[in-house]
Amino acid sequence: MAKKTYDLLFKLLLIGDSGVGKTCILFRFSDDAFNTTFISTIGIDFKIKTIELKGKKIKLQIWDTAGQERFHTITTSYYRGAMGIMLVYDITNLKSFENIAKWLRNIDEHANEDVEKMILGNKCDMDDNRQVPKERGDAIAQEHGIKFMETSAKNNINIDRAFHELAEAILNKTSRETSSSSGLPGSNMNAELQDRVNLNTNNKSNNRISQCC
Amino acid sequence: MSYKERLTRLEKLLRVDNQSKRDNANVGGASASSVEKQDDAEETYDSIDLFELKNLVFHGLPGDSQYRALVWRLLLNYLPANSIKSWDEFLVKKRNNYKHFVNDLLVIREESGERNSDHPLNPEPDSKWQVFFKDNDVLLQIDKDVRRLCPEISFFQTETAYPNEQVVSGKMDRLHKRVQSVVLESSNVIRKGLGITKINPKGPMIQDGSETGEYHWEVVERILFIYAKLNPGQSYVQGMNEIIGPIYYTLANDPDVIWRENAEADTFYLFTNLMGEIRDFFIRSLDNSVSGIKRMMEMLMDSLKSRDQAVYAHIVKLEIHPQYFAFRWITLLMSQEFALPEVLRIWDSLLSDHKRFDFLIDLATAMIIHIRSELLSGDFPSNMKLLQNYPPLDVRDILTLANSFSTTSS
Repeated sequence: MAKKTYDLLFKLLLIGDSGVGKTCILFRFSDDAFNTTFISTIGIDFKIKTIELKGKKIKLQIWDTAGQERFHTITTSYYRGAMGIMLVYDITNLKSFENIAKWLRNIDEHANEDVEKMILGNKCDMDDNRQVPKERGDAIAQEHGIKFMETSAKNNINIDRAFHELAEAILNKTSRETSSSSGLPGSNMNAELQDRVNLNTNNKSNNRISQCC
Repeated sequence: MSYKERLTRLEKLLRVDNQSKRDNANVGGASASSVEKQDDAEETYDSIDLFELKNLVFHGLPGDSQYRALVWRLLLNYLPANSIKSWDEFLVKKRNNYKHFVNDLLVIREESGERNSDHPLNPEPDSKWQVFFKDNDVLLQIDKDVRRLCPEISFFQTETAYPNEQVVSGKMDRLHKRVQSVVLESSNVIRKGLGITKINPKGPMIQDGSETGEYHWEVVERILFIYAKLNPGQSYVQGMNEIIGPIYYTLANDPDVIWRENAEADTFYLFTNLMGEIRDFFIRSLDNSVSGIKRMMEMLMDSLKSRDQAVYAHIVKLEIHPQYFAFRWITLLMSQEFALPEVLRIWDSLLSDHKRFDFLIDLATAMIIHIRSELLSGDFPSNMKLLQNYPPLDVRDILTLANSFSTTSS
């Protein structure tokens, strides 16, 4: 097998209602491009991107899920091994925001207890059509103690930042706990990766980030 | 058989050599290279040998796709193969029925007198308004999906020559406008702080549907919505848009004008028939049933195991479960894995399968084995990428490989 080119492997999951822009967010992050003509995701999709954080090369294995109810049997089986979950709604679609509570319940039910979560209000470039004020995003995030930011895959606002912050939160946690095992697919690769990372554990990340939009 | 021989054989099977008869029947039909009229033994020309047709079309459809719309109508058991004579009457009836569905299901009627008792805030579950709002949830999902159908080709974003006249004349609301108005209503009211609401003066951006005619995606939206209304237990599930896409594309591009004009109604029936066979893939509660998607994925893994132990073992070792890739392959009958022209070719074979959809499993097995050397040297992420973004290829290669399984086994 080829020599590993990374120090850590983090598994992330993107969830949220259909059409909120999960695939576009992922595509912006992994390929730095935007495409409005994505076909709908059926089942689950997968992308890889390696980032550098605190001198560590971190490989992000990101799973993009279908939003519709029918696919939940397939998609919830991925929750268990996820180390970070991005929960996405669309600021121009009130319903997608109201469903955040439902998605949070799903996480409680199916994911690891210590999974890092982040809420993203996507499409913040479309302010004229806004149905969800930023304050409501702030409020629900605060209520659940989750980070929140508004993003635009189209204008590339906060996309990199969201992934970096989520990865950093996981890194901080990983360095506090010495080991963690994961049931996510491909986790046998992870065995060799359980390096003890001894990084500073000061949790400097604010709970909420207010910028842009 | 040479291409020419195959084409002649197909035309003979389809009775398109008997052009004058089809003209008399006045249902159009594939505009064939007309052969001289054959008066003798008319009754033998009244039926089409479906078994032979499948045998032929399974290996590809000769004739530059010109017969595909007709052949699919036969393969999907829409046109009665045993009675060409009855087609005329049959089609008139079916197409009228569809017209009734459109009129009955898409208009919320406001009969006089009823208006006072029923209103948008009526909480009764049988209130027409409650039904209307519930329908709009389904419609909103359909709307999102049909707009992103086959983005690699422009076809669905172009206008149809045969729009619904009531829609174009403004007598019937455009479906996508209907969900936009719902969005508009809720967007107007924004909660501010504690229970205070304010009216947002800014409406949503009106997305561009056609103003004067109808785009093809609007037609597909209408068919899917009617299907969902008629099948409330199953309703609309994402992915159905991908199933209806190739059917509508084929029928709406029929070289014969009369058939093309009726693409919408006929697509509805072909789609309904096809869904009748694969609907279990789309129903969550049937995932574990014999006809459900899980069973299909097990069959794929069994098939792979028996044909290529090494690749099977490697995939299992890497924990690449079939639901990561084959869920989509099977549910959508490969429609998202290849470009549309290849999909049409693949469907010729899938629909010609004497035992639908056994060949789908053979084909999926062949797709894995075809890229075996890449898979064997790949790790989890590279193999996932490969299986989820299947490399472009000449589909005849995998069809031939898949076909060799069905002929060698059993």
